[in-house]
Amino acid sequence: MKLTLKIWRQQGPHDNGRLVSYETDEVSPDMSFLEMLDGVNQRLILKGEEPVAFEHDCREGICGSCSLVINGVPHGPERGMAACQLYMRRFSAGDVITIEPWRARAFPIIKDLVVDRSALDRLMQAGGYISINTGGAVDGNVLLIGKEQAETAMDAASCIGCGACVAACKNASATLFVAAKVSHLGTLPQGKPERARRVAAMMEAMDREGFGACGNQYECEAVCPKRISTRFIAMLNREYLRAGFVASGSPAEPDSSQAGPD
Amino acid sequence: MRRSNQFQTSLSSKVAVALSGLGLAGFVSFHMLGNLQVFEGPAALNGYAAFLREMPIVLWSARLGLLTVAVAHIALGIRLALQNRRARPVAYAVREYRVASMASRTMALTGSLLLLFIVFHILHLTVGLGDPSVHDQLDERGHRDVYGKVIQAFHNPFYVALYCAGQLVLGMHLSHAVSGSLQTLGVEHAALIRLFRAAGPAVALFVVMGNLAIIFAVFLGLVRP
Amino acid sequence: MITLDPKIPPGPLETKWERRRFTEKLVSPGNKRRIKIIVVGTGLAGASAASTLGQLGYQVECFCFQDSPRRAHSIAAQGGINAAKNYQDDGDSVARLFYDTIKGGDFRSREANVYRLAQVSTQIIDQCVALGVPFAREYGGQLANRSFGGVQVARTFYCRGQTGQQLLLGAYSALCWQVERGQVTMRPRTEMLDLVVIDGHARGIVVRDLVTGRITAHMAHAVVLATGGYGNVYYRSTNASSCNVTATYRAWKQGAAFANPCFTQIHPTAIPPAETHQAKLTLMSESLRNDGRLWVPSAPADRRLPEEIPLSERDYFLERRYPRFGNLVPRDVASRAVKAMCDEGRGVGPGGHGVYLDFADVIERHGVDVVRERYGNLFEMYQRITGEDAYRVPMRIYPAPHYTMGGLWVDYNLMSTIPGLFVIGEANFADHGANRLGASSLMQGLADGYFILPYTIGHYLASAKATLVGEEHRASRAAVERVTGLVATLLRANGRRTAASFHREVGKILWDHCGMARSKAGLTGALKAIPALREEFWRDVAVPGSGETFNQELEYAGRVADFLEFAELLCHDALHREESCGAHFREEYQTADGEPQRDDERFAHVAAWEYRQDDSPLLHKEPLAFEFVQPTTRSYQ
Ligand SMILES: Cc1cc2nc3c(=O)[nH]c(=O)nc-3n(C[C@H](O)[C@H](O)[C@H](O)COP(=O)(O)OP(=O)(O)OC[C@H]3O[C@@H](n4cnc5c(N)ncnc54)[C@H](O)[C@@H]3O)c2cc1C
Ligand code: HEM
Ligand code: SF4
Ligand code: FES
Repeated sequence: MKLTLKIWRQQGPHDNGRLVSYETDEVSPDMSFLEMLDGVNQRLILKGEEPVAFEHDCREGICGSCSLVINGVPHGPERGMAACQLYMRRFSAGDVITIEPWRARAFPIIKDLVVDRSALDRLMQAGGYISINTGGAVDGNVLLIGKEQAETAMDAASCIGCGACVAACKNASATLFVAAKVSHLGTLPQGKPERARRVAAMMEAMDREGFGACGNQYECEAVCPKRISTRFIAMLNREYLRAGFVASGSPAEPDSSQAGPD
Repeated sequence: MRRSNQFQTSLSSKVAVALSGLGLAGFVSFHMLGNLQVFEGPAALNGYAAFLREMPIVLWSARLGLLTVAVAHIALGIRLALQNRRARPVAYAVREYRVASMASRTMALTGSLLLLFIVFHILHLTVGLGDPSVHDQLDERGHRDVYGKVIQAFHNPFYVALYCAGQLVLGMHLSHAVSGSLQTLGVEHAALIRLFRAAGPAVALFVVMGNLAIIFAVFLGLVRP
Repeated sequence: MITLDPKIPPGPLETKWERRRFTEKLVSPGNKRRIKIIVVGTGLAGASAASTLGQLGYQVECFCFQDSPRRAHSIAAQGGINAAKNYQDDGDSVARLFYDTIKGGDFRSREANVYRLAQVSTQIIDQCVALGVPFAREYGGQLANRSFGGVQVARTFYCRGQTGQQLLLGAYSALCWQVERGQVTMRPRTEMLDLVVIDGHARGIVVRDLVTGRITAHMAHAVVLATGGYGNVYYRSTNASSCNVTATYRAWKQGAAFANPCFTQIHPTAIPPAETHQAKLTLMSESLRNDGRLWVPSAPADRRLPEEIPLSERDYFLERRYPRFGNLVPRDVASRAVKAMCDEGRGVGPGGHGVYLDFADVIERHGVDVVRERYGNLFEMYQRITGEDAYRVPMRIYPAPHYTMGGLWVDYNLMSTIPGLFVIGEANFADHGANRLGASSLMQGLADGYFILPYTIGHYLASAKATLVGEEHRASRAAVERVTGLVATLLRANGRRTAASFHREVGKILWDHCGMARSKAGLTGALKAIPALREEFWRDVAVPGSGETFNQELEYAGRVADFLEFAELLCHDALHREESCGAHFREEYQTADGEPQRDDERFAHVAAWEYRQDDSPLLHKEPLAFEFVQPTTRSYQ
């Protein structure tokens, strides 16, 4: 199968990028999309050129590394899948395929198709956790959590942190990502004590990192490889309103270990 | 976890935009319903207008409230739109949307056009600029002849076209805005999701159809002076 | 010279760990603030260790080469995690989990370690629940269990098919908290390329910043490696594409003993490769063997479609060879049987690399809906990858390297033969002996990271009393130079072959001669072929670009260079072990009907290899004493 690829090439964060065309004819329908790119790269290396940088690791849709905008859609034409789960039988001979990186101010390009998504880590650091010390946890069955509740939490928790929601959003908003975490932890009893601070801190971090605000367009859900529902965004909004009304924050925690005796 | 009591986030702005937007949506709905009195003849409409003017304090506080809401909505809406634009400095070379409607992607544009339209509308029918001939006429009961103004305006194909365009823009803005604001305010339920998502287009259709009915009824001569 | 002192506490099995915790020295809270610990790796083991150490008050610097700690390979584990909770009241206990693990490992692991693992397993579940891991629940709200990997009790906890992901995200969120508190400094996209050893103690690491290419030394009071397994030495495996041996291998070169490298687990049910260039193999859940039947055509090179082959010309080889367990024999046994069929030329699909896994019978018996309910997602995944509908035609499966039991040697305190260098998770030689049971690796990673290392490292730190050494120290400068030199050499080669082509080739050598079946002849041949290939690599590898930028090919070439050396160590170990045990099958040591023959007289030991500069690696043995269980023969016939 013969294809034309138009791939975004960009040397570094401060260089100008452009789409470069590559013809490739060694493509079989049984190849995955990333294997097709591997092939392109092997040939580039043999020609002494630099291969196309792109991110990948697990290649089975769970690590969230792969991050390609394929023909204008993050993760490409299949729904509910990451780019690494896309196979070439989805394309036909002669197709022109444009491949671009995630584009957002919060995701500066490192090289070619690789972007820096550490902003998502910083959102998590702002509040995407339950602050509980190791050791001394009570028995797991002490907290009874209904099946439905557990399943809802799991639906939200299955986010792989790929950032496709940001890439797809017209406003480059990370709301779906934040909503998934806030809903996951907010649904479980373990996460309730910190829910007010969590949602406020994460939303503040989202603005700080330069993501846009949600436009309620649901493009994120349509490209999310885990089909995280935008209903969680409504849940996030409720959590936020609740936090604003109810809790003006719990009293500031004196951080005992940091203020410890010397 | 950082302590945060500020709640000065874009989400707060969004909530404010949604609340004020819903307020405005409420206003345009009642505005349209009020105007439907055109179909009951001059007496009804002019009487309604006069009724409003008989309570200047109420009227002006309503106007002031409306103005505040509108200013808040516009200011925060524009600020959000600018912030959102900044969030993606480099555009995609190829872009395809799966579900985001045209209306949802053009909120800032339709909002701005709406602003222009509203300014024009106020100048045109409330203040009476642009078409001074219709100003200050009184009907037989001594009320200001709003009815006459409307009839006269919508006999003019130019104004009809302009108002139709305004309605189109209003319809688009509303069709995304109302459903969107429900989501922004966290109003959501698994069983009712279709209802909530249909709410925007329904309200938009309702308002736009009502307004268009007036315009075309006059233009086609179904409502006579 | 390396000495292997496992430092196992005396006394009864049940109280060994308690004893050790009591006799250990502690670091005072005030001192903890002044102690810096490097943790390399953010998988289950690394993330849980780094967060716990941070919480205890140490200054932690944590490294991973992915762009985010959350993407460590642990994220891909599917099935579940074991714990001896006995919530099902089906007779499980710490003792039983201990015994199952020892037996599953074919009596090649340390009793004391395995017992401790079984003991802390219960705490892991509690800790994870507290962190918000959404384990599957029953309607009444209690935790749900499934049975896994052929054991007789249901002790596996799970989050749909994404258990590894949820456990890792739990540990990652704990790590996030410590980063926010300033206890942990996270350095993603940073690859450890060497270990700094000063006066015999591990005192730092040398890393390359993968974005800027800067090579620097980072110093600490102790170093923890949690860098995962080396399954990718086979080129094709179920591991994530970046998994590699570099961190542990380079630590080996600095003096840490490498234990049992030849214990590598090959999983029977992966989707066969469709492409010669395909590296990644996708694992299909073992549970498919509950209902699917494995078969091949009776005649070699039978190219007919499966449905054209009549029953009389099919060989249901597992049912034939193992009438008692049939299709449910353990992983290693099934894998070997599949390989035997393919070696006889009876494999199916492209290149004859595959056997059928047929669901026709269960579909006929229970209807297609039952099968869809049980395995729908797996069938979907299979279809996505192969384009075939397994409801209509039999699936094809083929074994794939999956997990490595071998790793750096550690004592009971998880410290390697280099004082101050601790190794946890899949990177150490661990508790799984010669074969790992399903759902026990996640357990081990979290046991090490949350509950064991944080105690034992304190003992070292309290006794060693070392001061923090600066980056300008002679040893660290030398280490930086070693790494800089290596990077420069790779870039200079400027040859005509890609790193991947070498990786593929060494992988094939190992797969053929040090894979599911090994023989003296094969291994000796491999030991000749590998150095030749390595020489060619240094002469002819092509690495474009520069070292001062983001350069994925350079990263990869460096990893392949280590695989090319490490492969040799693997073969040495396999050659030395003249017995068949667990995943290690030597063709010379089997019964008449092809069953493995273990040799407890000569090989009841851990083989720990010492690096020697210009000589073949030196073998040290840690004898394994079985005081509490009696080694028996694993038989599945
Ligand atoms: C497909 C699949 C399914 C599995 N399913 C199960 C299951 O159901 N149950 C089970 O118990 N086990 C399962 N396993 C095994 C289990 O997932 C792994 O053994 C375990 O996750 C290993 O965890 P770890 O923390 O030791 O290492 P990893 O998770 O591999 O983490 C290694 C870390 O080290 C870092 N690192 C490595 N080298 C360097 C370096 N040089 N410099 C800097 N950083 C470095 C990496 O960035 C990464 O963060 C499965 C494995 C696979 C492949
Ligand atoms: C009759 C007039 C108007 C009505 C009924 C109305 C209604 C609404 C509503 C309900 C929303 C909320 C949508 C959400 O939460 O997602 C909204 C959003 C918005 N409105 Fe209006 N609006 C009106 C006029 C205007 C005007 C005049 C402007 C600007 C010049 C404007 C600009 C915006 C913008 C930019 C948004 C999107 C905010 C966001 O990003 O979420 N609107 N409108
Ligand atoms: S919400 Fe979906 S698209 Fe967004 S980061 Fe998570 S998995 Fe990716
Ligand atoms: S490579 Fe891991 S999700 Fe695609």
